[in-house]
Amino acid sequence: MAEIDSGITEPLISVTGVTKHYLRGSETVRALDGVDLSLYPGEMVAIVGPSGSGKTTLVNTLACLDTPTTGSVRVNGVETREMSEDELVSVRRGFFGFVFQKFYLLPTLTVAENVELPLLFLRRPASRRSTISLLESLGLSSRTDHLPRELSGGQMQRVAIARALIVKPRVLIADEPTGSLDRGTGEGIFDLFEDLCQQGLTIIVTTHNLALAERAHRMITLEDGKIVREESKGSQRS
Amino acid sequence: MLAETHLFGFFALAIKNLLRRLVRTILTTIGVALAVAVAVSLAGFVNGYKTAISRSIDLLGFQVMVMAKGCPYEAATMMLKGGTGLLYLPISTFDQVSTDKSVSAITPVFIGVAEKEQTSIREDAASSFIVVSGINTQSFTEMKPWLTFQSGEGFKGGRWFSDGETREVVLGYEVAEYEQRKVGDTIELSITPAGALAPKSQEFNVVGILARTGTQDDGTVFMPLARAQEIFNRPDQITLVGAKLREFSTAAIRQFEERWLSLPEVQIVGLQQVKSTLLSLVGTAQIMIGAVAAIAIIVAIIGVVNTILMSVYERTGEIGIMKAIGARRSDIFELIWYETLALCIGGGITGVVIAFLGSGIIEYLLRRLIDVGVQGDLVSISPAIMGLSVGSTVIIGFFAGLYPAWRASSMRPLEAIRSGE
Repeated sequence: MAEIDSGITEPLISVTGVTKHYLRGSETVRALDGVDLSLYPGEMVAIVGPSGSGKTTLVNTLACLDTPTTGSVRVNGVETREMSEDELVSVRRGFFGFVFQKFYLLPTLTVAENVELPLLFLRRPASRRSTISLLESLGLSSRTDHLPRELSGGQMQRVAIARALIVKPRVLIADEPTGSLDRGTGEGIFDLFEDLCQQGLTIIVTTHNLALAERAHRMITLEDGKIVREESKGSQRS
Repeated sequence: MLAETHLFGFFALAIKNLLRRLVRTILTTIGVALAVAVAVSLAGFVNGYKTAISRSIDLLGFQVMVMAKGCPYEAATMMLKGGTGLLYLPISTFDQVSTDKSVSAITPVFIGVAEKEQTSIREDAASSFIVVSGINTQSFTEMKPWLTFQSGEGFKGGRWFSDGETREVVLGYEVAEYEQRKVGDTIELSITPAGALAPKSQEFNVVGILARTGTQDDGTVFMPLARAQEIFNRPDQITLVGAKLREFSTAAIRQFEERWLSLPEVQIVGLQQVKSTLLSLVGTAQIMIGAVAAIAIIVAIIGVVNTILMSVYERTGEIGIMKAIGARRSDIFELIWYETLALCIGGGITGVVIAFLGSGIIEYLLRRLIDVGVQGDLVSISPAIMGLSVGSTVIIGFFAGLYPAWRASSMRPLEAIRSGE
């Protein structure tokens, strides 16, 4: 596992006693059940666990895309649990970048336009030079004007990463980013995450692939909505 | 790059979204365009018809007509488009009314109907009737000073006939065009004299062809009053007396009426009154026409709302992603709203263009299908009508877009992403 600077003490995101319950028919599902977790600037945290263990629910809660049933979620020192949808958008905008398993690129926009889309919503001016530079750093310089359907899965995921990075977020949330990719391409994505982490970006990534997860600074294992194991560089606790 | 400014960027994004389902977008736009084209054409027709009625009455040259008793509006219509069922007055009526001191100009007119000989090369002119007017050239042209002769090749030397001449006629513009006649040609008219059973064919020399006036005069053959009375076998009879008053006011016309209604079997028709009555009838029809246009537009707008809602449902996941990557509710609202506006504006402009380009065809069909009774453009699509139509579609699009935009913007990002999977 990679090393992380242990001198930083203030968490960027912290959740305390978070539960998330919802109804599936007449049954109450406990997607999260008393989760406590803190994430620090510049670390890469991998969340692993079997399907239905609550990985996606946890990252969605951390990223203010979902609100917990109980418990506290603090982002950059601000409590978000009671916030309205519009207030959550304000917290998310520019702070988080999102990468999803299915990429979710807009099919009618070119690669460059997809990457620049968040800037439109943030009312920030788009510079094609910066976009191309970002795409170059991700090995996509020759694909700038291509449509998503003309790209491979790995290329689409790198475009999605570029779209997340264009706003210079503090935290990158990647939910199963390698789930639709072959092994080699998945490793390439994690190489990229390691580079970004070294540049100071905080990364939270969910995956089923333990080999990839072990490359993170911390690996958190979820089962039935509970953290059952947390491993970091040189230590392990259950 | 999507755009330098967020407004243009959102609009560019909206257009790209619409182009994604090109066929659906085109069909929806056509729906709006046809509805707007119907509305614009109907508005153009009402506008043009009103103008044509107004112009045709104004160009009669008379302010009041003294006619045989009957429906005054039928009488006015007859004057506008010719017609049958003509009633006649004794010429003495003209002599009596001429003595009225309030009259500044007066002319007697005899109107008869002749059958055209089938000599025309134009199919639509064959086997139809032609209006023959017997006039006194001096008083008639004083009343209508705008009448001039057609100039150019084949029309040179055009002149009025002398009142005593028996074989000369002057043709209105359309008669000459339909019958392919030039100055110096002859024209044969088939006339059934009063009391006779069979028509009698007579040949006349064309001594002049009038320039187009846009009135019934274009479709008239003019001949000396006495000659017309003679060939129709109605000596000492006229159809009407046209007059202009020194003072043209409702009160003056009423006084004129009071003085001459005492004459037996006579009615006085004030053309201003006829005009306002006919225009008010058109105004009533306008309400019905407006209702038809409104229904067409409502149907088209329902199509637009349906299209946008379908598009929103199809893009639920994308909308969720846009919200996740930073779009506010207002951004999604704006985006969907622009899509609706773009459809409505596109349809509105296309509809106006269709109506404008098709107005000639509509005019042709109207004239073929119904006896409109007036000259001049029947469908007049003014810049005001075009502007109002496009403006209306913008306003309708403004409201039509509210519901789909609200639906899209109300989606929670996570639920939207999940339901889009």
